[in-house]
Amino acid sequence: MSTIHIESLLKKVEKPGRYIGGEFNEIRKDHAAAGTTFAFAFPDLYEIGMSYMGMQILYNIINHEESLLCERVFAPAVDMEKLMREEGVPLFALESKTPVREFDVLGFTLQYEMSFTNMLNMLDLAGIPLHADERGADAPLIIAGGPCAYDPEPLADFVDVFLIGDGEESLPAFLKLYGEYKAAGKSRKAFLQEAVKIQGVYVPRFYEPVYNEDGTLKEVRKLYDGAPDRVRKAMVQELDLAEYPVKPLVPMIEIVQDRAVVELFRGCTRGCRFCQAGMIYRPVRERSPEKIFAIADQVTKNTGQDEMTLLSLSTSDYSHFEEMATDLIDLCTERHVGLSLPSLRLDSFSFKVLNEIQKYRKSGLTFAPEAGTQRLRNVINKNITEENIFSSVRQAIELGWKHIKFYFMMGLPGETLEDLDGIADIAQRVMQLNREMHVAGSSRFNVTVSVSNFVPKAHTPFQWAPQDADFTEKHDYLSAKMKIKGVSFHYHDDPVSRLEAVFARGDRRTGYFLEQAWKNGCKFDSWSENYSAEGWQKAEDAFREKYGYGTDFYRTRERSYEEVLPWDIVDCGVSKAFLMREMEKAKEAVTTDDCRIRCNGCGVNTWAKCPLEGIHG
Amino acid sequence: MARYYLVFSKNGYAVYTSHLDMQRFFKRAFARAEIELAFSNGFNPHPKMSFAQPLSLGYSSQSEYLEFQTKEQMPAEQIKSRLAEVMPEGIGILRCVQLPDNGKSLAAMCVAASYRIFIRWDEDEMGCRADKFDMRGFLDQKEILVLKRMKKKKEPKEIDIKSKIREIEWAAQDNIIIMSTKLDAGSDSNLSPDLLIQAIGRYTGAVIPPENVEISRVDMELDGLNQ
Repeated sequence: MSTIHIESLLKKVEKPGRYIGGEFNEIRKDHAAAGTTFAFAFPDLYEIGMSYMGMQILYNIINHEESLLCERVFAPAVDMEKLMREEGVPLFALESKTPVREFDVLGFTLQYEMSFTNMLNMLDLAGIPLHADERGADAPLIIAGGPCAYDPEPLADFVDVFLIGDGEESLPAFLKLYGEYKAAGKSRKAFLQEAVKIQGVYVPRFYEPVYNEDGTLKEVRKLYDGAPDRVRKAMVQELDLAEYPVKPLVPMIEIVQDRAVVELFRGCTRGCRFCQAGMIYRPVRERSPEKIFAIADQVTKNTGQDEMTLLSLSTSDYSHFEEMATDLIDLCTERHVGLSLPSLRLDSFSFKVLNEIQKYRKSGLTFAPEAGTQRLRNVINKNITEENIFSSVRQAIELGWKHIKFYFMMGLPGETLEDLDGIADIAQRVMQLNREMHVAGSSRFNVTVSVSNFVPKAHTPFQWAPQDADFTEKHDYLSAKMKIKGVSFHYHDDPVSRLEAVFARGDRRTGYFLEQAWKNGCKFDSWSENYSAEGWQKAEDAFREKYGYGTDFYRTRERSYEEVLPWDIVDCGVSKAFLMREMEKAKEAVTTDDCRIRCNGCGVNTWAKCPLEGIHG
Repeated sequence: MARYYLVFSKNGYAVYTSHLDMQRFFKRAFARAEIELAFSNGFNPHPKMSFAQPLSLGYSSQSEYLEFQTKEQMPAEQIKSRLAEVMPEGIGILRCVQLPDNGKSLAAMCVAASYRIFIRWDEDEMGCRADKFDMRGFLDQKEILVLKRMKKKKEPKEIDIKSKIREIEWAAQDNIIIMSTKLDAGSDSNLSPDLLIQAIGRYTGAVIPPENVEISRVDMELDGLNQ
């Protein structure tokens, strides 16, 4: 193992605190004593990666295994990268400053598609060949996981192994097996052939896609008989038994989400048809209130953080929400810790709670109706009515909130101009309501409307749906309607949403598009100051040149139910028949009940325990 | 309520933690140590805690002063040992001493600071070897001028720092200049070692790049504090 000297670089970069490690609760282990050394990479800046709880969870679990070692790696900012390249400093891990290429295994977490170019850039900066078939046994094994691994194909040429699903059990098992094979001097191939027996392990080189002439998939040929036909995601059934980091790392520099985080549950029973998280994290698995309280107690003690937030897809759906919230408010008040409760459904109890925790300083209230009319909300199965929205807004105004935020999506399947009118209409009527209510300080009241562009995702009922060819017209249309006093309107740029749509449902060929873009200097694509329209356009041209069609093929084309989908290799636990049924209901604007009312037959309970199905039926 | 000051050191990679980040860091460290700080009154209460002098990013220090008030009186030794248990690598808790409840703030008492400075001497750039540098001549100038960026103004202003240099000793070894110097530090008169380095560069007609310089604060002089 070697150590890199970075002091002279640190003196020249904007934020040296990103590269030093050494935070409180950091875990350092001896490389020589470890059976497998693992570098955990988040392909974005330190401030972003350190805000991601999944890394803290796995860092903790792996390092608690005697034979394993885990260190962290982030994407260096543009200024640091430039110096590293100039001075020939390879990508290094924070804890020991060891070059990443000296680790046994390098793992990337893929949280969003627009970090893919950063992943390639980090491999290059580490001095590791990009393509799996160019790497020898001296290079680290490259693995990847996270929500974007549910369509692994765009990265299949670069990654040796994908770990799909919850990593708490599968990742340490995988790394230990690697250590055993390494110690026994067995080949990498032999290891991979054994590793596919671990649930959630997908080895792209064991499969070969065969294409039709039109570019669609004909079939996926298995090249190793022992590899599974489909890879079922790994899942932790009992969250209470999974180790949660009660001594998380406490960053020295300010990060994006600089607070203690307590995870309540995984999964969601609401079944919004656009939402990938709502499908791939099924079934809902809750932590017990006792465990949640114990975690909150220890995490605040062990970090000294003065803010805490709760993590789940829908806080108020937690079964023992009132009891849990009441206990946590007491704990936080006693310790001078600010508590934030994201994604609340605004009923009377929530208002009581919010009024309590935001006694002095009312931050904004957020609603996510996602669509402007009831019809379109039925299409996407977002079961929130206008009556729900307005009665909550009325209460909020009465209680003195002055800022309300709305989230909508644009380009949803079946959307018409009427649905966009509905967005403006809601904003208009909220302002109107405020004027009519005559509460103190009503002139300060304002509304923010944020509209994002719909990106169809793999493993959702909308996985067959096209993305809008162009959002510009709709943006212009809505912008004109949103010139309302007291309302500010934001929308996302469409180039990034388009690329997301390509990689969210891409096949193995899209890896070429990605690599070309990276070669043209594309990285940090979600940062508008870094986004290179030219780089991506040149990549598009190269792709068209090579395959005879453009990437709109993945984006704006409606797929048939019969088509073989690139991500069919991944079994997320929800059946394709269920997704088709949901898509058909969407076409008729028919809603599906929350799974707590009745089981909707998504298929997850055929292989896992679904503790909340039908409990309110 | 009780008032204390703390002396701590900052070394290794921890030197790349900024002044602002150190404030947040200590707030959390006190919470981890279960030492309840007193809070200011008002709309947005903040803990009563402040540094005698900010330390520039990249400097190490053997002698940083932090004053604070706790809600309850407790033995200073206990505060020291509890804090020492919750420090990350690079930050050392050296002393904790109780202060009278009312008195001048440490920031107001601070008059001077001592530094140890290492300059890797680039012979080609500087035009001579480190041991041939005419430090005496540099110090004996009638004025020692530097360009200082003034607050809120865009154009840097030329100022004379000669009177702010209290003591200076130097030696040259293997083309490294090692200096021990005491400079004004405080609200009345203040001199950053960066400006002293700039002045040395200017005297030789060169620019000394920051990566060639190591600066460590070794001591602070607090007028009226029983150190």
